[in-house]
Amino acid sequence: MLEVRDLSVAYGGLRALTDVSLSVAEGRFVTLVGPNGAGKSTLFKTISGVVPPVSGTITFAGENLLARRPSDRAHLGIAHVPEGRQVFKTLTVRENLEMGAYPKAGRAQWTQTLDRIHTLFPILAERAGQMAGTLSGGEQQMLAIGRGLACAPRLLMLDEPSMGLAPSVAEMIFDRISQIHREDGLTILLVEQRVAEALERSDRGYVLETGHIVLEGSYETLLSDDRVRRSYLGLTEA
Amino acid sequence: MDLEILVENVLNAVTAGITIGCIYGLMCIGLGLIFGVMRIVNFAQGELLMLGMFASFYLVTGGKALAFLGPYWGPFVGAICAAPIVFVGGALLHKFLLSRVSGLRTAGTLDEGHFGQLIVTLGISLILQNGGQIVFGSTPVAVRTPLSAEAFLIGPVYGGATVFLNKAKLIAFVVAILVAVVLYMTLEYTRLGKALRASADNPTAATYMGIEVDRAYRVAFGLGAAITAVAGGLMATYISFGPFVGFDYVIIMYSGVVLGGMGSILGAFWGGLTVGFVQQFSALILPPQLQNAAIFVVFLMIVLLRPQGLFGRSAERA
Amino acid sequence: MRYGAGPQLKRDLTRLAVLAAAYLMLMLFVKNSYYQLILTLVPVWALFGVSWNILSGYGGQLSFGHASFFGIGAYTVTLAVVYWSLSPWLGIVLGMVLGGLAAVAIGTPTFRLRGHYFALSMLAYPLAILYVLQYLGFQEVSIPMHRDNPVAFMEFSEPRIYTLIAVCLLVAGVAVSLIIENSRFGLALLAIRQNELAAEAAGINARLWKMRSLVVSGMIAAVVGGFYARVLLVITPDSVFGMLVSAQAVVVTLFGGVASVWGPLIGAAILVPLAETLQAELGTYLPGIQGVIYGLAIIGIMLLAPDGLFWTIRDRWFRPKGAAPIPDVAPMTVASRPVRAGVPLLVVENVSRAFGGLKAVSEVSFSVTEGEILGIIGPNGAGKTTLFNVLNGVLSADEGSAQLSGQQMLGRKTFEVCRMGVGRTFQVVRSFPRLPVIDNVIVGAYGAGLSDRDAIASAVRALRQVGLQDQSGMAAGQLTNKQLRLMELARALAGNPRLLLLDETLAGLGREECDSVLTVLAGLREHGMTICIIEHTMHAMMRLADRFVVLDHGRVLATGLPRAVVEDSSVIEAYLGKKWLARQNA
Repeated sequence: MLEVRDLSVAYGGLRALTDVSLSVAEGRFVTLVGPNGAGKSTLFKTISGVVPPVSGTITFAGENLLARRPSDRAHLGIAHVPEGRQVFKTLTVRENLEMGAYPKAGRAQWTQTLDRIHTLFPILAERAGQMAGTLSGGEQQMLAIGRGLACAPRLLMLDEPSMGLAPSVAEMIFDRISQIHREDGLTILLVEQRVAEALERSDRGYVLETGHIVLEGSYETLLSDDRVRRSYLGLTEA
Repeated sequence: MDLEILVENVLNAVTAGITIGCIYGLMCIGLGLIFGVMRIVNFAQGELLMLGMFASFYLVTGGKALAFLGPYWGPFVGAICAAPIVFVGGALLHKFLLSRVSGLRTAGTLDEGHFGQLIVTLGISLILQNGGQIVFGSTPVAVRTPLSAEAFLIGPVYGGATVFLNKAKLIAFVVAILVAVVLYMTLEYTRLGKALRASADNPTAATYMGIEVDRAYRVAFGLGAAITAVAGGLMATYISFGPFVGFDYVIIMYSGVVLGGMGSILGAFWGGLTVGFVQQFSALILPPQLQNAAIFVVFLMIVLLRPQGLFGRSAERA
Repeated sequence: MRYGAGPQLKRDLTRLAVLAAAYLMLMLFVKNSYYQLILTLVPVWALFGVSWNILSGYGGQLSFGHASFFGIGAYTVTLAVVYWSLSPWLGIVLGMVLGGLAAVAIGTPTFRLRGHYFALSMLAYPLAILYVLQYLGFQEVSIPMHRDNPVAFMEFSEPRIYTLIAVCLLVAGVAVSLIIENSRFGLALLAIRQNELAAEAAGINARLWKMRSLVVSGMIAAVVGGFYARVLLVITPDSVFGMLVSAQAVVVTLFGGVASVWGPLIGAAILVPLAETLQAELGTYLPGIQGVIYGLAIIGIMLLAPDGLFWTIRDRWFRPKGAAPIPDVAPMTVASRPVRAGVPLLVVENVSRAFGGLKAVSEVSFSVTEGEILGIIGPNGAGKTTLFNVLNGVLSADEGSAQLSGQQMLGRKTFEVCRMGVGRTFQVVRSFPRLPVIDNVIVGAYGAGLSDRDAIASAVRALRQVGLQDQSGMAAGQLTNKQLRLMELARALAGNPRLLLLDETLAGLGREECDSVLTVLAGLREHGMTICIIEHTMHAMMRLADRFVVLDHGRVLATGLPRAVVEDSSVIEAYLGKKWLARQNA
């Protein structure tokens, strides 16, 4: 469904990504892991259309994403859950979700979608009228995911959902993401720093290090490969 | 001073403060949308006010388009009709000029594009003021309504003290409140309004939602321009004006918006109301030329002592 | 004077003299009295633009209210003649003094603001004065004639004499501006404009320099205003304090080229005759055409050539051919600092800093011994940069202490911390792209308070330490990424610090580039420098750092030798997650 081919991106004068290729087949759960500064967020931003690439292609269901405006993604069915949540702090929880449902597809299925979101995250129903800026980190993350679901997407992209969250809260978030994949059959691309938590639920993983894909495979393959640990903790040799 | 006269003066100042203050409040909402929400520093806001005045003037008296409504309804309907005209003008200004120095293009730069905005809007201000002088001439005009000479009398309260409620100002006040309420409802409850607020809150996230932020900003700018223009049209019923009138009100607008707090539209209204109050009360003790100087002093004090205003978040301080 | 300033100044002054001479020759040919007036007004507005440029061009403090000083000068001269029969020659000097005092009075409260708040507040001052003057009845004041003593009262029957005086004033003003441009004054202002925070971290007292620039600017503006009043003979509050006057300074400078002394000259030479002529020809049909022209000019410039005509033309057609000659100055000799092994240089105790409810840095304690390289690592958002910001004086600490050789660091202003001997680099390098590398680096030396001569020697040494000595004369805009990082490092070194705080110096560098920077850093350690470096590039840090401090969620997770730290299970868990650890141990 989502095909990234030979993507190279320069960001702020630095070579952030070099010849990166990955694919997310329909219905699959794919994870991208890597240490800090590897370029994970840059990849996310490039797919989102915020950062233009130097070379390479990105296609979604046959559409060339690079030829589209950034705001078109949501209308095509790509939902973003950005790094750091980025909820609309001055809007209420309910209004945040309504904004998620901005595209036509979202509005058409609004009642069913809202139900589904409230089932997954009951706290969002409880706090519907509360200002999003006053929620805790975990609650904001749930809101951000709910917002992503609100447009009835075909692909859900999440950027480091566990960042800044306590381990138990992060665990719960990963559980929910898993649940969404299992029960709704939604295609998911997860970008994460926490390797095991991310990989164990996904079908396929890629490891990014300093702008290159250095490993890819099923989660069993990756978890047993010591190169992952060495890549994170700087023990790889030239 | 005779207590009765004092009471009368104070009561009249209070009523004038409320009525004029609410009109100022409406004027400030327009700037609040642009400055507080979009973070665009618009130096030409006073000229948008001026355009609203002249639009109303030509609709009502010049072109006689609204003459059929007569001198009682005409001026106020004219003020409201100025809105779509200035909305379009404002949107065009944004599309061709301001979008180049604001929004996503300049988000994240060291000064968020403010330098460019100040310069471009200074240029727009110069063109509108002086161009206005060419097109409209410099003889002061007003949108005549007999209501500006009539007043309701309340009283006598407290001895012989009577409160005069100028009819024109009163109706303008009512219209101002109505427009403000309509705007508030639009922003709070409609999909468009929420999209505008979301774009102001977090343009990147708004883009992720599928909102075209540039277009949202354009609409917001046009709306802010239109609101200020309506306030101008209302003011036109009780003051006479020329192409340079906008300038007197720029500092009043900025004082109101800063006092109410950046980012808060409701705050802008209260800020404008407060400034109106200060102005009318200062009329009790200060001669007319110094009233405006008093506003400047108030502005400087707010900016130096409490830049976050009454309702807003923190501002840029060294 | 900056390096190379001497010959540069001579060149510029010569150019100025030539221009002035040419202009005066032109003046001799013009007979029409209206055009003669224009010839006088061009240098007047040019000088006004030059004065504005000092504050808002070099210093970047955009002011919309320069009419304050202009008007003060104008009214001082006028009222002095009217009430005290004081000669305008003296009146101008008096106006200059008052302009300077007004600058102090206005600057002291207003410099607490920045950005658009500053610009708008500066607008309020001339308008407030305007309204007060109107109230006081000074609607229109004219300078009376003194036929008995014309020269003493600056009365000349030959209008060209006024042009001559105007040109002389302009030459003097431009000379002042050139001296500023070529001295540490100008460089300090440029640094503040580029990035006030980084400038402070390099030791520059931003508040002081901004005030100085306002005072000089105000004084020159007052002189111009005084002379202008003499030329026009009749002034009204609006004609000298009004918005159009303030706008004139802005428009002329922005159009011609901001932050260069030639800009206002170009701008005035083009716009003033244009506007005045159109006003004269079409003024009856199109009153206010002048304002429209100015408005169009600055909108056009802002959209098409935002730096102004001068820079656009220079960048396009006069690109410097190669590197300027390398400074022929011996590098400052500083003996290698003897390292007292084990003696702590920096001791951080229990430092905490919260934002709202979130503790970004929580009870962090560690120490750095002399001659050591300490690596500060940790996952994203761990609080590393916040920690540096607290140490550097950019942020205040909620609690805790940090001592540099026993002296308390916290609670001081950023530039004071720099003067104590702390050098800092930032994640985003902001250079002066058009200036040579040596000028970029020397800012750090000025900030440390070195004399002109010592500063050059120190900058040369710093460049040598990082290996950029061959690029000293190159424009910074032509450097590669790695070279920019090294230049930033050199700037911190030029201030002769005892401790370096480096923030992600290696980010985004390729393998080889990384290696060469590592060599430089290791070399610094050999000469006794103590370094604290935040980095994500783990493999580099493993080779460079003597010890690690690991931060996670604002707390210190572990400290110790690199090998030990990365084997530490809590560190692995922080980076890779608990499940990973569990799986490995299973």
